[in-house]
Amino acid sequence: MANESEYALEMLGISKSFGSTIALSDVDLQVRKGTIHGLIGQNGAGKSTLMKILSGLYPSGTYSGQIIVDGKPVELNSTLDAQAVGISIVPQETTVADTLTVAENILLPEMSKSPLKPYNKSGAIERVTKFLNSYNIPLQPDKLAASLTLAEKQILMIARAIYLEPQVLVLDEPTSSLTGDEIKNLFEVTRTLKSLGITTVFITHKMDEIIDLCDSVSILRDGKIVCQVEKSEFEVDVLVSHMIGRDLGDLYPQQQRVGIESPVALSVVDLVIENPRKPGEPLLKPFSFELRKGEILGIGGLVGAGRTEIAKSLFGHYKILDGEVYVDGESIKTKSVSESISHGFGYITEDRKAEGLFFNLAIKENFTASILKLITNLSFLVKKAEKVRARVYLENLQVKPQNLDAPISSLSGGNQQKVVLGKSLITEPRILMLDEPTKGVDIASKAEIYKTIAEYASQGFAVLLISSEFPELLAMSHRVIVFSGGEMVGEMPGGLENEKALMLMAIGANN
Amino acid sequence: MTLTANKGLSDNLKASILRLVFLIAVVVIFAVQNPAFVNGASIRSVIQGLVFVGIAAVFLTILITAGEFDISVGANAALSGTLAAQFVVGGEGIADDRSPWSGLIIGLLVGLIIGLINAFVVLVGNVPSFIATIAMLFIARSLATYIPGGKPIPGYRDSWEDEGIIFRESFFLSNFSIIVLIVMLVIGHIVLKRTNFGVVVASIGSNKEAARTSGTQVKRVKTILFALTGMGAGLAGAVSVLHFGSIYFSLGSGWELTAIAAIVLGGTSLFGGKGTIIGLLFGLALMQTIASGMVAVGIDPWWQTVITGGIVLATLVVEQLRRKVT
Repeated sequence: MANESEYALEMLGISKSFGSTIALSDVDLQVRKGTIHGLIGQNGAGKSTLMKILSGLYPSGTYSGQIIVDGKPVELNSTLDAQAVGISIVPQETTVADTLTVAENILLPEMSKSPLKPYNKSGAIERVTKFLNSYNIPLQPDKLAASLTLAEKQILMIARAIYLEPQVLVLDEPTSSLTGDEIKNLFEVTRTLKSLGITTVFITHKMDEIIDLCDSVSILRDGKIVCQVEKSEFEVDVLVSHMIGRDLGDLYPQQQRVGIESPVALSVVDLVIENPRKPGEPLLKPFSFELRKGEILGIGGLVGAGRTEIAKSLFGHYKILDGEVYVDGESIKTKSVSESISHGFGYITEDRKAEGLFFNLAIKENFTASILKLITNLSFLVKKAEKVRARVYLENLQVKPQNLDAPISSLSGGNQQKVVLGKSLITEPRILMLDEPTKGVDIASKAEIYKTIAEYASQGFAVLLISSEFPELLAMSHRVIVFSGGEMVGEMPGGLENEKALMLMAIGANN
Repeated sequence: MTLTANKGLSDNLKASILRLVFLIAVVVIFAVQNPAFVNGASIRSVIQGLVFVGIAAVFLTILITAGEFDISVGANAALSGTLAAQFVVGGEGIADDRSPWSGLIIGLLVGLIIGLINAFVVLVGNVPSFIATIAMLFIARSLATYIPGGKPIPGYRDSWEDEGIIFRESFFLSNFSIIVLIVMLVIGHIVLKRTNFGVVVASIGSNKEAARTSGTQVKRVKTILFALTGMGAGLAGAVSVLHFGSIYFSLGSGWELTAIAAIVLGGTSLFGGKGTIIGLLFGLALMQTIASGMVAVGIDPWWQTVITGGIVLATLVVEQLRRKVT
């Protein structure tokens, strides 16, 4: 290129405030050409504000500082402006037109520029096939977008961005809803792009992804760039402590792993659960396990091993075909969710939005929505009781802001997840089932969620934990049972030292 | 990387064949009951029965593909037709020697204005298009009744004789509406399937955010579609005046349901994102065949309306179920 600039993208001295809140103060982000540059930071650190500035959603003039693309200062007032100077941003949420084909989705920006041109379906597919092949992107252009998996849609979003031939490709937390293999695929595509000279900014809060993929990383904390680290100096502990401003050591609470001799809270004998996609057929071979009071039992396995289905079956959501379930020694049959709740089960899904937070209500009302009986007198709400109960969880979970009246919609993802947890704990289920309780949550929030779960168990409640993050699963659980290839393949004690053993068992390498 | 070849027939083709088989089955059922149902005159009457609502339904299909709605097409046609006829005939103190063809221009113009008002209310006022266009339905229907005083407009046919055409004997006039429908269907199909615009329209109905981030000016496209839908309805009204040589204020009542049923029966998604003009033609044929067939086999007229309503309901339920599955 004729230009001398070493950097594909520079954001210099960026400051932005909302009223009296300073979101970004004097942020410098410099991305060298042809590299994959990581941007990490907790939720609320200012990543999304920075990206909204870069995408033109906050037009120039609403912030101070300068954006320089390939050595030339630019002014960005809309997404189209950003695209015009070669910045393509792939947002976290997939916005794909489901009823269109892959090819049409990719060509859409071009088509909307020249609406009067004739459209030739097979010609479009041919062009897109060539394009996809040249970047080694594993998508079928003639497929309907509706038939793609979430991961493929994510790749489609990236393909659409690349088709615009950007100088800088920005991927905003692209892996948050992907599984191991899908992430690998995505990394492959990103590396191919790098080999073709495209600069990528990779936003994430997963440390291993940064270490695996990035050439350098900028760490954002409290609206400031704390430091920029090169690949040769990558070290998890260092990066994490820069990011959260403290040591990783106290991420997981200290767990006592031996000697739980308390009574059995839940016992499952030769359980056969229905395959939700094939009514009448079993999903897994019969399995049995026990869960004691005060114990955290992990369910390990790869995504798709049937972990969520086990929890949902116990919760009355899916059918149990055969076998026995005992709660406190008594045989029970659950046919519905409400029955299951009355037996003492509680279940938190990985899907915050579907979990039923009341987004327009305040934190306190969300906490107490499921215990209205306890905070009402003759059907009238006792405001004081509501506050007292809600405050306990507000403080235990360190929800930010520490303000019971703040609406849920104003909270970051991590803090919303804390409210989801608190909302369930406040009903004191005797058997709490947690499905990916820290998905898409920043590290500081994770620490508080872990602490709360451990405390809850130590009060004598039984906890069933499902997690795709093996370190989390092992560090939190007293024992882990592992599912693989349609059956329960074994059990192991918790503890981070067992990560390799768990991985081997989960991929079925042991037998 | 390998691409798997298309296995057998595409889903679209399969659906089309299924619709054709269904249509033939319906025809056969009626023909068995009453063999006269399949003679030339009957078929002609079926076609004539679907022509006007068909003209109005073409751009409505494209509007629905973009995820919006226009309930006011029938009333729009009535008002446009009325004003077109009134313009040609003239009034007291106004010259009454205008060419009947000028009525077409007036019809298109009135339809365009109604479409633009709909677009304004929906896109600037942020009123859901269902509600906004129901209000427009009432306004247009009332005006169409009030302006001619609830009576047919007299003297329209005379204006043809001034042109040297004897109304009853003109082959062109009696087939004009069918020609217009065919032209409209061809234009609609090309716009939807053979231009970039068609894909952009589908992308808006499918995922507005995806369209927006691709640089589409969603409101501008929708304004164009509301305007075209309005013009289509206006054209339907004006053409029906040409065809019948007159207009009655109840023209187009019930079109909104017939049109929507035909559109959805044809495979256009009621929720936007997917539209087909070929499917619309099937839907129209099916709706009109059933309507005419019920007359041919002598079903009580009151029951006919119940059955038509039932078909509309069933179509909507099936469409909703189909949406849940995918």
